[in-house]
Amino acid sequence: MAEYLRGVEDKIAAIKEADILIGIPSYNNARTIGHVVRAVRAGLAKYFPDQKAVLVNSDGGSTDGTRDVVLNTESDNLQSIFTYHRVGPVYSIAIPYHGIPGKGSAFRTIFAIADKLNVKACAVVDSDLRSITPEWIELLIKPVLQGDFDYVTPLYHRHKYDGTITNSIIYTMTRALYGKRVRQPIGGDFGFSGELARFYLAKDVWETDVARFGIDIWMTTTAIANNFRVCQSYLGAKIHDAKDPGADLSAMLYQVVSATFDLMETYSGVWSKINSSEPVTTFGFQYAVGLEPVVVNIGRMLEKFRLGVRDLLEIWQGFLPSSVMLFLAETQNQPDDKFNFPDEIWVETIYSFALAYHNKVISREHLLKSLTPLYIGRTASFVIETRDSDANEVEERIERLCNIFETKKSLLVDNWQEKGGKHG
Amino acid sequence: MDDLMQRAMTEPFINFIDKIIKFMPQFITALFVFLVGLLTAMLVRMALAKTLKVAGVDKLSEKSGLAEIIRKSGIKSVLSVLISRVVAWIMVVTFIVIAFSLLNIPALERLLERFLLYLPNVFIAAIILIFGFVFANFLGRAALIAAVNAGSRVAKLIGRAVKFTVFLVSLTIALEQLGIGKETVLIAFAVLFGGVVLALALAFGLGGRDLAKEYLEKILKGEAGDDIQHL
Repeated sequence: MAEYLRGVEDKIAAIKEADILIGIPSYNNARTIGHVVRAVRAGLAKYFPDQKAVLVNSDGGSTDGTRDVVLNTESDNLQSIFTYHRVGPVYSIAIPYHGIPGKGSAFRTIFAIADKLNVKACAVVDSDLRSITPEWIELLIKPVLQGDFDYVTPLYHRHKYDGTITNSIIYTMTRALYGKRVRQPIGGDFGFSGELARFYLAKDVWETDVARFGIDIWMTTTAIANNFRVCQSYLGAKIHDAKDPGADLSAMLYQVVSATFDLMETYSGVWSKINSSEPVTTFGFQYAVGLEPVVVNIGRMLEKFRLGVRDLLEIWQGFLPSSVMLFLAETQNQPDDKFNFPDEIWVETIYSFALAYHNKVISREHLLKSLTPLYIGRTASFVIETRDSDANEVEERIERLCNIFETKKSLLVDNWQEKGGKHG
Repeated sequence: MDDLMQRAMTEPFINFIDKIIKFMPQFITALFVFLVGLLTAMLVRMALAKTLKVAGVDKLSEKSGLAEIIRKSGIKSVLSVLISRVVAWIMVVTFIVIAFSLLNIPALERLLERFLLYLPNVFIAAIILIFGFVFANFLGRAALIAAVNAGSRVAKLIGRAVKFTVFLVSLTIALEQLGIGKETVLIAFAVLFGGVVLALALAFGLGGRDLAKEYLEKILKGEAGDDIQHL
């Protein structure tokens, strides 16, 4: 048995086979993982009472007793919720994963156990979720078990200012590149078939950055680019444990954007032939959810943007087209309330960064970290523009941006081969 | 008188001619060795450049990021050409040394010996300086970007200070390698570095007083931050 399954061989041998596997990656989530486990158990009891199910906690070496919480958390008194009982128990496996520290390594262990147990359907959910309900399990698993889909991405109801990296870069680019309108490609909670889990496991990426970060976009892109059947399920609001307020935005941006750009290298033969996008099947009943207000300090964002433009222009000069450079120079004297980062300029900026990343114009980490002020400027512009817009209007606004990403895709395709070149 | 003339003028001249005649075969041999070396070095340079290019060394250097480091250090040639040039020059120098040794001139031999013993120091110092330059640029840019992303108004100054300091350290090490005023360079570096730190401390202390006040006020008064979840 593989090195990364050390310690659970006996348990896997005892279980032999299973129909469903739910994976929960964790690291010091003792505070929240109990709720997630209860929701998963309730979901399995309510929607899949006849299926043999396994819950796998793949842990990154927690010191706060996360694994004990998983193993000792029993379902709430399900009799008070359901009128029936599960046929069999839900097996629990809590295993510290081996290999490079990161969410990707945790997922590899989950895929490996899914492979050994020959499961039909799997789902992975974050361990810090506060808004997970038993219905999430149904919505992530059923399209695979009964709908013949291989990959289920989540669809959340989010505040209009949340998920700005997703909305302005990852969703828009993934859609333009691979032609599928998967709204939350890096949502973190996914469903997938046993076949796709085996496909992921067989990929030679587990000693690369995929093991550290970027597993979400890697899973989504790999599924789409390899023609697995993809759909999305509406899960409602996504509320999770408060993140570290000191978390470095530029590091986060670097991780998620570099993972997306790296996949462009892998699948250049796929995306260069796609020139339109199509919607994917969506499951679940969509409803409005009351959301916490989001505080945004526009003044500080614009200050950071202008500082970046003043000090980093020399770095960008080597690869940004003249139209973008001209726009950036003009923004220095724009009043805050009139500040606007147009869609066309933003799309040209992102495509130019993608080409510069491909051509290794400068150190890739420096390149993407220098994108931070531009991203902040674009986000500030988006907030100013959508201040009085409701959720639907914001969605229309994002749709417009997606169309420009698709229209201008030729910029990327035509210049992809020209190493070190500058376009525009 | 004639005898005196002959001893004073003719004999030294004959001796001189005699020595030149005796020296000529050595000189011709040395010149021949040098020319053969020059020709061989040229041929090796051309052959090596082509072989390395076919072997994909340039592509490998692009992929590994080495090409970028070379470009940033101001060298415009690709890696295959660079390696072949270095090998050719090493061959030329080797053949020059062999050619000089064939001349059998003790003073020249001693000079050559000292030069050859010193040559590795020059080579190492040059490498230290090149790496220092590249490293200084890299760290300077990293510091500049990090400072900009942290919202610092003196990001450019920070970037330049890091770049200058790293290059200064590499210059000191290079000069020490060359044996130039070992103690003096070290003391000068310490004084200069101390001066830079003091200047920065004063600059930040005086220039950044208002910034620090503003920052502390923001912290203590609890300035509204951003709640945006970016992912």
